[in-house]
Amino acid sequence: MNLKRAMGKIYHQRYLLLMSLPFVIWVVIFKYVPIWGWTMAFQEYKPHRTFWQQPWVGLAHFRELFRDPMFYEVMRNTLVMSVLSLICGYTLPIIFALLLNELRNGFFKRFVQTVSYLPHFVSWVIVASMFSKLLGIDGGVNQALMALGIIDKPILFLAQGRYFWGLVTSIEVWKEIGWNSIIFLAAMMAVDPDLYDAAAVDGAGRFRRMWHVTLPGISTVIAIMLIMSIGNLINIGFEKQFLLGNNLVKDYSEVLDLYVLNYGIRIGRYSYGTAIGIFKSVVSVTLLLLANGIIRRINPEGRII
Amino acid sequence: MKRLFVLGMALMVVLGLILPAGAADKNEPLILTMFSGDINPDDTGFEDPIAKKITEATGVKLKIEYPVGEYEQKVTLMIASGEYPDLIFHKNAGPFVEAGAFIDLTPYIEEYGENIKKLYGPYLNRLRYSIDDPSIYYLGCFGVGSKVWDVSGVQLQHAVVKELGYPKMETVQDLENAIKAYIEKYPTINGQPTIGLSLLADDWRFLITVTNQAAFATGAPDDGEWYVDPETYEAVLHHTRPEEREYFRWLNHMNDIGLLDPESFVQKYDQYLAKIASGRVLALTDARWQYEQAEQALRQQGMFERTYGSYPIVLDERFRRMDLQDPGYSAGWGIGITVDCKDPVAAFKFLDWMASDEAQILNNWGIEGVNYVVIDGKRVIPPEEMNRRLNDPNYRRETGVGLYVYPFPQRGDGILDPTGNTYTVTTPDYIKERYSDIEKEVLAAYGAEMWMDLFPQQDELPIKPWGAAWQIPTPEDPKYQMAWQRIQDIIRRRIPEAILASPDQFDAIYDKMLQEIEDAGLEYVTTEFNKLLQNRLKHWGIIE
Repeated sequence: MNLKRAMGKIYHQRYLLLMSLPFVIWVVIFKYVPIWGWTMAFQEYKPHRTFWQQPWVGLAHFRELFRDPMFYEVMRNTLVMSVLSLICGYTLPIIFALLLNELRNGFFKRFVQTVSYLPHFVSWVIVASMFSKLLGIDGGVNQALMALGIIDKPILFLAQGRYFWGLVTSIEVWKEIGWNSIIFLAAMMAVDPDLYDAAAVDGAGRFRRMWHVTLPGISTVIAIMLIMSIGNLINIGFEKQFLLGNNLVKDYSEVLDLYVLNYGIRIGRYSYGTAIGIFKSVVSVTLLLLANGIIRRINPEGRII
Repeated sequence: MKRLFVLGMALMVVLGLILPAGAADKNEPLILTMFSGDINPDDTGFEDPIAKKITEATGVKLKIEYPVGEYEQKVTLMIASGEYPDLIFHKNAGPFVEAGAFIDLTPYIEEYGENIKKLYGPYLNRLRYSIDDPSIYYLGCFGVGSKVWDVSGVQLQHAVVKELGYPKMETVQDLENAIKAYIEKYPTINGQPTIGLSLLADDWRFLITVTNQAAFATGAPDDGEWYVDPETYEAVLHHTRPEEREYFRWLNHMNDIGLLDPESFVQKYDQYLAKIASGRVLALTDARWQYEQAEQALRQQGMFERTYGSYPIVLDERFRRMDLQDPGYSAGWGIGITVDCKDPVAAFKFLDWMASDEAQILNNWGIEGVNYVVIDGKRVIPPEEMNRRLNDPNYRRETGVGLYVYPFPQRGDGILDPTGNTYTVTTPDYIKERYSDIEKEVLAAYGAEMWMDLFPQQDELPIKPWGAAWQIPTPEDPKYQMAWQRIQDIIRRRIPEAILASPDQFDAIYDKMLQEIEDAGLEYVTTEFNKLLQNRLKHWGIIE
C-alpha cells in the first residue's frame, strides 16, 4: 500500500525528478566520487602504483600528524587567526551596514558603499605588497607615527611576530568589510518600514530602533551567516599568511594549509596531505553541527539544518 | 535514396575530418610538448627566428610549459596525475625516476646519438643514474667542460672603493670598515638613507644570499646545504660548521651597529631589486644572476658608479674562496624523454641534433650574416649587434639567440669547435667588453684585468671529485623528506632570529637551532646523504 502510494507520488512528480537528475549526477560525480580518494590517507600512496599495489598503513599518518609538535603550532595559528577574523570580519560589517542603513542621503550612501566594496576586488598579492610598503621602515605608517611623536624610531611591523595576527586581521577587515556588509544591507531593506514608524510613535530614538527593529529583523540572516562562517573556521586558506609572512614571523604565520603544502604535497607525501584533509573535513562538519545546535537552542528559526 | 545520400555526405564529412590528421603532411612540424623546470622570461612560443631554424632542420616544434609558482609543487602534481609531456627538464630526477616517468636513453644513444656522445665525451658515464641503476634517463644541462671566468664573490659599489682610495678588500672586516666609512660620509644617496648591506630571504632565495655565503666566506665550495670534507669525503650540513657560526655572528654584529638593512628578512624579491636599482645599497652578498636585473636598471640610468664589483671576501685570513674551483661535470639536472612521448625516436633525434655543432653554434651565436659574420674563418659579432646583445633587454626575445642553449645539452665556455672558434660567445674578451669605464678604473686600481683575477686561481685549488653536491638527487624516502623539510624550516626561522638578536643572545639562539635540527632528524638525513655521496663517488670511479 505504502509502496503504491510512493510510486504514485514519484509518477506525479516525474518531471521535477527528471529535472533534478542532472544535478544529482553532478553532485555524485564531483562531490561524492572523489571521497574515494580518502583511501589514500590509509595507504603509503605512490602515484605510479595501482590501487591494489599501495601498501595499507592504517592510521599511521594520523598518528604521525598528532605527534608532530608543529601541527599544534599551525593549528593554534589557524584557529587564532580565524577566530579573530570571525569576530571582526563578522561584527564589523553588521555595524557598518547598520550605520549605512541609517543614512538618508541616497547619493552619499551609494558612494560610500561602492568605495567600500572596491578593496574586495583587489587580489591579495597586490594588497600584501601595498601594505608591506606602507608598513615598511620608510612607509607611511612609520612616518605618520614619527611625525606625531608617538615613536622615535621606525618599527618594522612585519618583522614582529606579536603584531602578525592583528595585522592580518586588520588588513582583512579593510579588504572585506564593504563586501561582507552587502547581504546584511539587503536584509535590512526587507524590514517592514511600518515597524520603524510604530517604534518612533512609541518614542524610540535612532539607537533604540536599530536595536529593537533592525537587528531582530535580520536575525535569521545573521544566524545563517554565522553558521556558514563557523563551518569554514578551519578553512582560512593561506594566501594572506603566505604573502604577508616572512621567516621572522613564521612561528605565528604558518597555517594549516601551508603545512599541508610544505609537509604534504611539496615533498610528494600525498597520503599525509590527504590525512590532514580528512581531519579538516571532520573538524568543519563538527563545528557546523555545533553552531547549528546552539543557534537552534537560542532561536529555532535561525537553524538551517 | 535521400537517406542514403545524407549518410554518404555525413561519411565524407567525417572522413574529411579524420584523413588529413591521419596522413601526416610532410611539411607540418612534429609538435613535442615539454615541461621546463626553469622559467624562461623570454619565451616566444617557439616563434622566434632561431626556433624557426631549429624546426627547419629537425621538423620539430616545441610547446614548452613552465612551472607557475613553485617547481616542486608542479612536479608532484604532474606525477600524481601520471600524465607527462613528451620531454621534461627536471631539477631533481628522483621523483620522476621513482615514478617511472623517463625512458632509458641508452639504446637510443647507441643508435642515434653521435652528437650526444661527442658532446659529453668522457662524462657520458656520469649521466648513468646510479650505481644500482645504470640507465641514462636524461641528458645533463649546464655547459660540459666549462671554464669559469665570471665570479660573483661579495659585491661592493664602485663608488665606495673609489671614494676610500681602493682599500684592501679581503676580509669581512675590510668590508665592514669600508661600508662604515662611506655611510659616515654619505648618510643619504639621492635623498634616501644609505643602506650598508642588504640581504634577501624571500623563500628559497634565502639560501643564495644568506646561508650559501656563510659557506663561501669560510672556504667551502658550493655544495648546496652540504659541506663535503675534501679528504674524507664525508658530508655534514654546512650550517653546523663552527666557522659558519662566526660568519653569522659577523652579520649579527653588522645588524647591531646598524649597517645591516633592517628589512633584510622581510623584503620580497621585487622590493629588494627596486632598492638596489635606487643605488643606495652599498654592499650585497648575492649571486650575479639574482641581482643582475637591478644592476641593468642602474646601467640604464647611467649610474655606473652604483654598480657592483666582485670581491673575494672571507671571514678571516685562514680561508680562501673556492669560486673558481673546477667542479667537474655533475649532470644532476637535465632533459629526458617520458614514457608518454608520442615518438621517442623523433624526440631523441631532436635532442641529438641540439647537441650537434650546427645547433650549438646556431643557439649560441645566432644566424650567420644576421647575428654574426665570419671573417677569415673567425666568428665575429659586429659592434652594433654586440651593443644590442649587451644592453637591449629585448634582444633575446626578438632574435631568439641564446634562448635554447639552456636547458638542452650544451658545450661549456672556452671549448673550441673544429674551426677553432669557441662554441659559446663567453670568452674573457667578451666579459671585459661588458665592463663599464668605472669598472675598468677600479680593476686597474686593484691591479687586475678581470674580477676573477682577484680570486684564488683555478690551478691553485684542488679539484672537486664529487662534482656539485647540490645536484645529487634526493631520495624519495618520506622519513628523509620530512626531516629535511623540517630542518630547512628551522634554519630559515632561527638564522634570521639569531642575526637580528642582540649580540649577547646570539649564541643561545644558535645553540637552540643546532639542538632543534638535531631533534628533527639531522643524524638520519646526514647518514642517508652520505650513502648517496659514497654511491656517486663509487659510480664515478673516484673511490673503490
